[in-house]
Amino acid sequence: MSKKNYTLDPFQAWAHRWGRIGTLIALAYMISIPFIVLNYYNCMPSMGSVFNVATFGILAIYIPVGISEALSYTPLMGASSYLGFITGNIMNLKLPCAVNALKIAGKEANTPEGDVVASIGVAASSIMTVVILTIAAALVSVISPIFELPAVKTMSNYLLPALFGSMTLGLFSSTSAGSKVVVGGLKGVMPVIIIVSVIALANRILNIMPGTTLMGMVGFLILAMLPVAIITSRIMWKKGKIKVVDKEEA
Amino acid sequence: MATIKDIINSPLLLALVCGGLLYITAFSVVYLLKARKRALEMGISAKEISDIIKSSLIFSVVPSLSIVIGLVALAASLGTVWSWWRLSVIGSLSFETQIASNLAPTMGFATTTELMEKATGEQFGVVMILMSVGMLAGFAILLPFGKKLMTSVDKSKGGNGWSNVLSGCFMLTLLAVYVPLLLICDTYQALVMVTGLIVAIVLGIFAKKPGMAWLNNFIMAGSMIVAMVSALLWTSIF
Repeated sequence: MSKKNYTLDPFQAWAHRWGRIGTLIALAYMISIPFIVLNYYNCMPSMGSVFNVATFGILAIYIPVGISEALSYTPLMGASSYLGFITGNIMNLKLPCAVNALKIAGKEANTPEGDVVASIGVAASSIMTVVILTIAAALVSVISPIFELPAVKTMSNYLLPALFGSMTLGLFSSTSAGSKVVVGGLKGVMPVIIIVSVIALANRILNIMPGTTLMGMVGFLILAMLPVAIITSRIMWKKGKIKVVDKEEA
Repeated sequence: MATIKDIINSPLLLALVCGGLLYITAFSVVYLLKARKRALEMGISAKEISDIIKSSLIFSVVPSLSIVIGLVALAASLGTVWSWWRLSVIGSLSFETQIASNLAPTMGFATTTELMEKATGEQFGVVMILMSVGMLAGFAILLPFGKKLMTSVDKSKGGNGWSNVLSGCFMLTLLAVYVPLLLICDTYQALVMVTGLIVAIVLGIFAKKPGMAWLNNFIMAGSMIVAMVSALLWTSIF
């Protein structure tokens, strides 16, 4: 199908229109809450005390993280991105949920069927999270002692590696491409694996910063490594080292 | 002059947060119904859709409980209502807890607990506004360029194959960054991750046996829970 006559699936078209409008409304509402409350209590801070060198320094850390999340997660989550971004907790909940839904349905990311299935998973997960957090907020004084138990805190600290362990197979299977198969795709990210491994090893041997601090910089790393992976993959694909072949040929 | 306690216990804040959460829930329900309708049109059976929903609900419980731990911690410094709101929308567990603890020193407080005890309404206002605008950068990319980003990797377009390579590239980059960090930075993280991977593989093998296909719906949730519990074992052994 040529680019000229390529049309979006009806659900994808709906998501791009109403997902965007719904997101804009949610953003406007979200930003207006502090202003409404602070004006009501007549304690609106000056803009100078909100946006200054010290606070901008903190915000500057999160700007690349936000950009990195949008650039790296949007192509993976497809039409479910609008809902995923507005309900948050993408890496630790929404993306794994989308991968889980794709795996169960046997559909692939970046296809109309995959977008529909991932959206069902992300929407169900979003509703579940709101329900759980609402119950938790209502019972916070009752449940606090349970969630402050050392064993519960220890398990919670290892959510991310547990998630990656459980979804790595699903992530790999979602990199196949329908009737086509990408052969040698891993070669395109070899420089990324080497660079990140060297950084992690150097940090561990030289003890420059705690491992958790390095994990906190993952947004910067993804942002820096995406162009490396895309350029390397492009070169490898042009040279025939990465091939896209029919499934029967693979 | 209002204090931080007047604001965090404010009925107005509670009403606005409830309104926002109702909107987010309605948005999710509409998304779910629209996607379900299209899935049926595409020939995906009602049972398959039901399986996806059930599995997503079960899968969401454990990560949501982790967010509840964040809520309990954050509620002590920012109040329950504001923490509930922030963790239910846009924000992430890591962002909200980090920004709250980073902002306290810039306003002259040693900890977020001290901020909670002594901050004026205006000072808490600074925290509220910064937490609200802090994670907007992603939307500056998603809203104008999201459609372009998604269609550039859409495999249904066919073409010369580059879109297929590019599509896989994002997922592989995510793995290529996270996996070495998780395996090298911290021994316990590595052990937990490997445990999750092994359990997922074992469950996958069992799921292929006759009459065990239902297990497919629980592989990710099950392996994640076992991996998290294994952290207790690894931290006690090593």
